Amino acid sequence: MTYIDKPSISNVIKFDELNVAKVDQLKVMLNTGTDIYQGACKKRGSTLKDEYRKVAGVAYMDPKDMAKLGVGNWDSVLVKSDWGAVVVYSAHSRDAPHEGMIFIPKGPWANVIVSNETYCCSDPTYKGIEATVEKSDKEVLLMADLMKEVYQKYTKKVKEVD
Amino acid sequence: MGYEEPVTDYDKIVENCTCAFCGSNCDDLDCLVKDNHVVAVRHACRLGASKIMEDEDQRLKVPMMRNENGELVEVEWETALDAAAELIANSVRPLFYGWSETSIEAMKPGLELTELVGAVIDNQATICHGPTVQAVQNVGYPLMTLGEVKNRADMVVYTGSNPMNAHPRHLSRYTTFPKGWFRKRGRYDRTLVTWDPKYSDTAKLSDIWIPFEENGDYEFVNAIRAVLKGKKLKKDVIAGIPTEDIYELTEKMKNTQFGALFFGLGLTHTLSKQRNIDIAIQLVQDLNKYTKWVLLPMRGHFNVNGFNIFMSYEMGFPYGVDFCRGYPRYMIGETTTIDLLNRKEADVFLVIAADPGAHFPSGANMHLVDIPVIQIDIHWGPTTELADIVLPGTFIGVETAGTSYRMDSVPLNMKKAIDPPETCREDEWIVTELLNRVKKIKEASK
Ligand code: SF4
Repeated sequence: MTYIDKPSISNVIKFDELNVAKVDQLKVMLNTGTDIYQGACKKRGSTLKDEYRKVAGVAYMDPKDMAKLGVGNWDSVLVKSDWGAVVVYSAHSRDAPHEGMIFIPKGPWANVIVSNETYCCSDPTYKGIEATVEKSDKEVLLMADLMKEVYQKYTKKVKEVD
Repeated sequence: MGYEEPVTDYDKIVENCTCAFCGSNCDDLDCLVKDNHVVAVRHACRLGASKIMEDEDQRLKVPMMRNENGELVEVEWETALDAAAELIANSVRPLFYGWSETSIEAMKPGLELTELVGAVIDNQATICHGPTVQAVQNVGYPLMTLGEVKNRADMVVYTGSNPMNAHPRHLSRYTTFPKGWFRKRGRYDRTLVTWDPKYSDTAKLSDIWIPFEENGDYEFVNAIRAVLKGKKLKKDVIAGIPTEDIYELTEKMKNTQFGALFFGLGLTHTLSKQRNIDIAIQLVQDLNKYTKWVLLPMRGHFNVNGFNIFMSYEMGFPYGVDFCRGYPRYMIGETTTIDLLNRKEADVFLVIAADPGAHFPSGANMHLVDIPVIQIDIHWGPTTELADIVLPGTFIGVETAGTSYRMDSVPLNMKKAIDPPETCREDEWIVTELLNRVKKIKEASK
């Protein structure tokens, strides 16, 4: 089916871009929200599959930022904020340029690093969060594995049994 | 994306179905049905089509409960319903969350159950347009229907929202592209404006794109209001936008015949939250001194507005209604889902037609690890990984008929196109069963 294809992303800037200074860790502003690929895949129900990981477990970054880190499309990056850390894919943003800003579509991956602080307004702060991005050699987890690792709801109990 | 041959192999067409995805509630979909399966759908966008042409592998078909190893195993309907009712009846602070992707008909017994056990009932507005509702209570609601925009609007502004990704047919069906009574040439008679820090897919289509800086929305809108009131702006650049541009935009907005402002979660999810919306609504009020302007929140789920209308009608409060004292109470930051979870207050969590696993920050979800979770849904999703009891519902708008409210509060009947899988039950039936069982338990314990 064509409407759930993983997003097509062009390689806009090469890693060896001459005029960018390499850094190990990048300070960014994190935004989350919906995007059409995530929406289509989520509501279709294919959340256990690789396609969901490809559409929601991904940080859309400015190509220049990616060159600074030396990462390409579908490489793993570790995104850290005050609330947690998660490994996601990096990919060139369709909305670039927006240097210093990354976008992770809403989903279990983004949830780990967004703020649950509502400031008594019922609504958590999903956007405008300070975060850092660095290169990672870990694999991005599938949804079920991620949920197990983050929440350990049933794994804990199994451990208690034996 | 390759070309796909049109589907010609079908038994019948069910016309004018309503899409059960986003708040645009497009009610012109044609479902092509063969052997009780939807094989293709016409007119829907990528989102609507993906939901209707669902992934059958992950469909929840049977009731399930956790065994001693923590795995979900199939059980009888009776067992699952009894266990769920037992949990609800014996809980102290139950929380019933969701409801935005089910019909009004299912909400009715849900509300009765909430009253009976003194629970908190809440819906997705709590994490999306909750601040909007508060702002509306603060400063008012200059609302319209989408039909008015289609026939009259010559300026359409989207801010903090990216309809090309979240409500793909919003522009083509209601606001920008269609020909209207006073806008005979459709798109050519309208100015499309996007205020968004990102060059979003909607911005790419727009005539004017205003990229104010991150978290600069409050300042930017205030600047326009100041200009409208005849004040001089003292800075050269405000929220990343040169002042000349603000003057020019304000002039354009004053000189339209009918303007419509649509705003999304970009405003409610940033730090100024409901104050952003306050100011946006006040901007529309100010603009009305010069010409006609209206506004509308871009509601996400197809019935998220329905729940708010239903609850306001029945109980006087739109969401986050707490019955623990025996009468309805509503206090944002106190009786709302995320706050209840953050404070680790809830002791049973019933989630119907929603996916907190995918949408709540994990800081809030952490509490779901410690309490029993009952899920009523149609697909195995992130929440299922945290659920103790799973009750498979049916698909409103495809397998079950029902009522929903569009984002502009127009109620629509959603048709049924095919029969649901035999082992699934309608949401309304499940909630009513839970209600009856809880009633019995309560009576027996008296
Ligand atoms: S715009 Fe929304 S309601 Fe219309 S077809 Fe697309 S998803 Fe469905």
